[in-house]
Amino acid sequence: MTAGEGTNAADSWLIDVSADATSRQYIRDLWRLREFLTEVPRSELRARNMNTVLGNLWYLLSPILQVGVYFLVFGKLLDVSRGLNNFLGFLTLGVFLFRFSQQATMAGARSLTSNESLIRSIRFPRAALPISAVSAEVIALVPALVVALMMALLSGETITWTWLLLIPYTALLVMFTMGVSFVAARLNETFRDIQQILPIMFRLLFYLSGILYSVERFSEPDALGKLPPEWVLSLADYFPLNPWYSLTTLAKSAVLAEVSAPPEIWISAIAWAFGALVFGFIFFKRGERRYGRV
Amino acid sequence: MAGSEKAPITLSVEQAHVVYRPDLDRTSSLRDFVLGRRGPRASEIHAVNGVSLEMRAGDLLGVIGSNGSGKSSLMRAIAGLIPLESGRIRARSIPTLLGVGAVLQPRLSGRRNIMIGGLALGLSKATVDEKFDEIVDFAGLREFIDLPMRAYSSGMRARLLFSISTVVQPDLLLVDEALAVGDASFKQRSQNRLQDMAGHAGTVIMVSHRLRIIRETCSRVIWLDKGTIRMDGDPDMVVTDYEHFAESQDDPRTHP
Repeated sequence: MTAGEGTNAADSWLIDVSADATSRQYIRDLWRLREFLTEVPRSELRARNMNTVLGNLWYLLSPILQVGVYFLVFGKLLDVSRGLNNFLGFLTLGVFLFRFSQQATMAGARSLTSNESLIRSIRFPRAALPISAVSAEVIALVPALVVALMMALLSGETITWTWLLLIPYTALLVMFTMGVSFVAARLNETFRDIQQILPIMFRLLFYLSGILYSVERFSEPDALGKLPPEWVLSLADYFPLNPWYSLTTLAKSAVLAEVSAPPEIWISAIAWAFGALVFGFIFFKRGERRYGRV
Repeated sequence: MAGSEKAPITLSVEQAHVVYRPDLDRTSSLRDFVLGRRGPRASEIHAVNGVSLEMRAGDLLGVIGSNGSGKSSLMRAIAGLIPLESGRIRARSIPTLLGVGAVLQPRLSGRRNIMIGGLALGLSKATVDEKFDEIVDFAGLREFIDLPMRAYSSGMRARLLFSISTVVQPDLLLVDEALAVGDASFKQRSQNRLQDMAGHAGTVIMVSHRLRIIRETCSRVIWLDKGTIRMDGDPDMVVTDYEHFAESQDDPRTHP
């Protein structure tokens, strides 16, 4: 190596491998991986039902059976459906959307830890992994939503133009879920306990997101009969703080006539969707260099 | 085959330092973290200690040194897989690293790993489909391609990884002992492929204990010792000096 060889003009074409990518470069790198992002989720879904008899039918059957169980237990046995005209439609849409968010988040949480070898061998923007995981669940959500819409029709809803709003509203839920998945993925990489905590967290959230009942029942004063009046009066008001509640309710309002979305709902939904996505992405990218370290 | 003075610079390593801090990196349970248990303190490993290196298109560099000299760490840093403590590494494109023991996804079949690995390397789906047969046949894995990779021997995995990574000639290739696997015919095939690459103005860095191959294939050799470059230059000179040094240390790890 001769010293003082001088730098070529080609020098300026060198990329800095040792530095962290800027957000813009990172997103550009992700864009370059778009084939990865479209193909991997699809092949993942194909592989999932490979050894089953019913195959891809399970994507419809599984949520339908779940809804059946909830309907029987909560709708008939325990009868929490009072106040709701179309409990079946309400339940179906809520369950499918919530399930999507839960499964996508858990898949996102596992996306780094189950791809450790890939991360250790090839340098690529790791965000591609949680994005693929969530995308797979989005693809699986589509047939489920079609079923939910059919259920809504069957149980008495009429098709109006607002049904189209289901698409952007679902998109908000997807954005929010992506943000949460980014956070879960990075946290799970360091603390595997997250994989245990998440199912419990989602169980609790499920019961607190107005899926099995209408929140209306909590807007009457003294509905529970034991709490001080000022507390009970505002119990219904606390629900919009729960992003899963606002996002699923907003989506339901597009399809179900009796569900309305007052400002506090859609403000909460939009704020959470964008906030979680931006925060989650930044949080995830900050940890980029540490993923897969021995 | 050797890069001319006028060939463009493809890799510039400037005073690179790699330091491992194992105790800080592994708090894998919330409980340990909360209780403040962070493992034994004060264990810092200075794996790469101020390495500077410049390479041009068409160079085929050999890196030799005893175990623990920092060769793998240097390769991983050049490939952008681990961060530098200080210094800078710049390259024409993201280097492709073929490392020992890098399995893609053990639960999945070789076929799916080819797809995932190829796509992650930035190849288009069309290219992966087109090159699929070439990849499988080069690695000699035709009968095994639909079995899960955890059923493969480490040699098979390494061959598949080499095959995937080199099917579309990368500009910058780092090969860490990956030629040590496979039968004689695979070894010859892979050596040919590497020389081919360098001949097509690619840049290749080879880490190996196989001194004969290094002597035969490389245009320049670096001897890495305890994280620094001890010698850099003509393959015969460097390898000979290294052999003498190793013999004097009664080092059983060199293979003539």
